[in-house]
Amino acid sequence: MGSWMRGLTRIIRYRELVRNLVAKDLKVKYRGSVLGLLWSLLNPLAMIVVYSLAFQYILRIPLENYPLFLITGIIPWNFFSGAVIASSEAIIGNANLLKKVKFPLEILPFATILFNFVQLLFALLVFFPAVFWFKTGVTPLILLYLPVLALQFLFTLGVAFFLSSITPRYRDVRHLTEVALMVLFWLTPIIYSISMVPGKLQPLIKANPLTAFITVYQDIIYWGRLPSTEMLISMVLWTGLSLGVGYSLFRRRQRVFVEEL
Amino acid sequence: MTKLIVEVQDLWKSFYIRHNRNDSLKERFISLFDGRRRERREVFWALKGVNLEVAQGEMVGIIGPNGSGKSTLLRVIAGILRPTKGSVTVRGSVAPLIEIGVGFHPELTGQENIYLNASLYGLTRKEIDRIYDEVVEFSGLEDFIDVPVKNYSTGMYMRLGFAIAIQLDMDILLVDEVLAVGDEAFQRKCLAKMQEFKERGKTILFVSHALELVSELCDRAYLLVNGQVILEGVAREVVACYHRGQIPIRHE
Repeated sequence: MGSWMRGLTRIIRYRELVRNLVAKDLKVKYRGSVLGLLWSLLNPLAMIVVYSLAFQYILRIPLENYPLFLITGIIPWNFFSGAVIASSEAIIGNANLLKKVKFPLEILPFATILFNFVQLLFALLVFFPAVFWFKTGVTPLILLYLPVLALQFLFTLGVAFFLSSITPRYRDVRHLTEVALMVLFWLTPIIYSISMVPGKLQPLIKANPLTAFITVYQDIIYWGRLPSTEMLISMVLWTGLSLGVGYSLFRRRQRVFVEEL
Repeated sequence: MTKLIVEVQDLWKSFYIRHNRNDSLKERFISLFDGRRRERREVFWALKGVNLEVAQGEMVGIIGPNGSGKSTLLRVIAGILRPTKGSVTVRGSVAPLIEIGVGFHPELTGQENIYLNASLYGLTRKEIDRIYDEVVEFSGLEDFIDVPVKNYSTGMYMRLGFAIAIQLDMDILLVDEVLAVGDEAFQRKCLAKMQEFKERGKTILFVSHALELVSELCDRAYLLVNGQVILEGVAREVVACYHRGQIPIRHE
């Protein structure tokens, strides 16, 4: 437990570095483009339009207000997949820094996740009004949204610790990650609802940690109902597992980063 | 007796030289079946039992041929590399100038880079605000401070890096062959600053091939050859000895 607290205090003490790293990523990515951050909306927007077309109008999926259903799942998914891909570069991409200056290395994956989280918040700002536009009504359940989001942040952080600490040794992990994300996307009830999954496939879909998060978001926003206890517990367990495994691997491996890069 | 700021005791540092480096899971997998493609690791000892002591307010030079372990020694003292054996005690904050301007991002302006770089050393925003003007003034880059550093010359890059490191005002400055880049005027400015730094009771470790500078500026010097301290003493004498090629090589 002590090492966790130390990790946390280091992040707090180096908050200015975190802030500057996130600001750097934002500036480098969006400086010099007129639309700036608006670019980050293009991807979810395209996904929503194309999937609506394919699944609502061609495959005739029986879900009302289908675009709203898509928004609910795609925005947190995009945060997850963007953060995971970027985190595989978190250590190797900053090789020049950690070879020359001593600073807490936890900062690097943390800042990467935070950068992606900022983009998620921006996307929410734009897409959230959609909830009202679809007139499905907002229930007090919406209050659950932020805690669930915070949990997803921690879950993703654990994955980021894990991936960023193995890429210095195995450089092809990044490609594997991309394939894994594609598989994971279709195994997560984002474009279909969990109730549409045949019984035999249910265990497979439910074994996916993202299923827990996405279905909880859908319950809160799209269905307006209380999420199932099963999914809530699953969400918490996955977060604990991810952070526990990810961070302890990271702490063990960080001694050798400098020599592997 | 003056306080020892840096204490290095019987320091050994090894690296693996990895022949046939398996850099990917794919290669690792193939090598399970094909022995010829298996990675071979060879141990290389960069530092072999180094002892070094630096007292507060001292300026100590480290000289020696390329590949003798000077930079590795500085990196271990800076806490970037871990000792394989032995111990390193550092009492105070360290500003490693191992390579200047490392935290710089080419797309960011000089100003943004000052903030990013200084925060790498754990400074808060307020602390950086306080030193900002002095950094800019020392670098002499007032007119270029809002230009992305990708448009800087090597000299300008170095000026900014040195200005930040010196204004961080840490207890120990580790300088690794960085003065070679700037023009003469800036070099003089840096040396004067280092002198002032020393007079304020700060400690400097200076790695350089500029032997005249070492004998002129440093109190003491260490001569490192093949990862071992061959000679230690008054800077002028160590440099003179190295110059004459009288290196008493120790055989194992």
